Amino acid sequence: MSGGVIVQEARCRGCAKCIKSCPTEALRVSEGLVRIIPELCIDCGECVRVCREKAIQLYEDDWQLLRAQKNLVLMADPTFYVQVGAYARPALMKEALQSSGIEDLTEYEAAAYDITAYAIAKLLETESRERLPFISTYCPAVLRLIQINFPELVGRIVPVESPLEIGVLLWKQKTGRDDPVTMAVPCPAKTTLVHAPEGREKSTMSYSISVRRLIRDILAGSPKVTGSLPAQPNRRWLHWSVSGGECRHIQAFSERPLTTISVSGLRNTKDLLTELELGRLSGVDYIECRACDLGCIGGVGTSESRFLSQLRLDSIQFEWTPTDEERLAAASRFESDVWRLEKPFTAKQRIPLAENLKEAMDKLRTMNAIFSELPHIDCGSCGRPSCRALSEDIVRGHGEMTDCIFKLRERIYGLSAEIHSLSGKIPHTFRSQVIHDHEDQRFV
Amino acid sequence: MGPQPYVERYVVQGGVFDAIGEASTQLKSVLKMLGIPSDITRRATVVAYEAEMNLVIHAGGGEITASVFPDRLELFVRDEGPGIPDIPLAMKEGYSTATDEIREMGFGAGMGLPNMKRNSDSLDVRSEVGKGTSLFAVIRFPSDPVQQPVKEG
Repeated sequence: MSGGVIVQEARCRGCAKCIKSCPTEALRVSEGLVRIIPELCIDCGECVRVCREKAIQLYEDDWQLLRAQKNLVLMADPTFYVQVGAYARPALMKEALQSSGIEDLTEYEAAAYDITAYAIAKLLETESRERLPFISTYCPAVLRLIQINFPELVGRIVPVESPLEIGVLLWKQKTGRDDPVTMAVPCPAKTTLVHAPEGREKSTMSYSISVRRLIRDILAGSPKVTGSLPAQPNRRWLHWSVSGGECRHIQAFSERPLTTISVSGLRNTKDLLTELELGRLSGVDYIECRACDLGCIGGVGTSESRFLSQLRLDSIQFEWTPTDEERLAAASRFESDVWRLEKPFTAKQRIPLAENLKEAMDKLRTMNAIFSELPHIDCGSCGRPSCRALSEDIVRGHGEMTDCIFKLRERIYGLSAEIHSLSGKIPHTFRSQVIHDHEDQRFV
Repeated sequence: MGPQPYVERYVVQGGVFDAIGEASTQLKSVLKMLGIPSDITRRATVVAYEAEMNLVIHAGGGEITASVFPDRLELFVRDEGPGIPDIPLAMKEGYSTATDEIREMGFGAGMGLPNMKRNSDSLDVRSEVGKGTSLFAVIRFPSDPVQQPVKEG
């Protein structure tokens, strides 16, 4: 967990509905409160979706404070521009933002996505085939999943920065301005891009709010949109908000036909990464995984249905093939290295059961013995997502057998049987009296 | 007598294609909990996965036994399937006796045994036609098998 997901303790009633939604089993409920195991959480936001109490939320900076700033510079995720039917064009949304006193960076964004796609295309052309496929850096939840669960794949993460960072860098270079930038995010994972970035020391952006909050705020202000701003010719970047858009964009800049796989949703992502780890994906050049269904438009911080967002996106006309001018611009910026990741991704494996192998083997044996005692119905009443997770927690020292209500019931039954049998026993000092006192049935 | 190994046993059913990968995934999680380095874990997972495929596709099921010793992992795979008539031929890349139907499902590329050999330090295959096949793979650990976990920053 890097802070994309937060728990509002006052709202949590410990219902434990969330613990099964977590794809990495990072949630536990104890003492009536949900707890996130930071080293397992990938900030995907699945728990945010299922929490009916709104106790688990996407982290956002104080919008009222940000709004009070004199000029608010916004780097909005592409999903933002396909949320509202009436303004489903970057130029219309830009106008709506302007009428609310917010400055967006769509021109730089369009250029940044071109550079990213161009850089990846170039890397794929020059890299030896054995080192391929490369994996996209676009979805931070997928990257964290790789760091934690697929450490052997960390070296395949393409060393190209997120276009959202590149966009801000371009804007800073071009204008020389240094105002703090706020990012509108569709999900908790992209929040971590701002507050706890992985591929660089510090993000170029300072604050983050959800796409949903921003959309609501703008609509509440009944913006004046006349369509007077010129349409932006390059709209390829909007398609990164759906699964497959990134690969199409890279192909548009590639000299050779690429073999790519695009998947969305965590189940598909996990399955695909497993196949890659098993070495079954030879001949594939590039892999694009998105944690959310259909891509970023399925993010938990968006305001519109992912299906309608997709329709809107499909209705926007654009060209995949870049113009000569756009190609030249991307090529010249490729030389400047603005796209390169500052530091490589590293694996973040969970700590083993014990420091040395012999001890770990002993603990694993104990864990298996505990597991075999449990009912194997994964009911969740112990606050763990599965019986296996409970047995692991117990050997790691974070729980006990009686956390399982079935085992607790068994123990109570055993104890009550013992109490019953004890109640029939008599202290030996009374024993002679008992033999003579046949009237008193209590002592028989 | 050496130290007692940690032993896991997986029973693999024949013909159940959807279950391919269950044993190797479990083995991966066990090795992770033991702190086995990730490259060793990956190789072991590949060997177990290929074994599972062979058991499901060719052998009509069988058993995989994984034994973790302080310095090595041993995988013993046993089945009572049709057996392999010509082992050196089966060890060649691209050779497969899988049916067209199985090939259509994306399996049977003839990479199974060669891939197992590539990912283990030693591989011993014994087979008797009509009786079954047994396979013994060893993957050695580097001298200090427990890696330092990366602490959260």
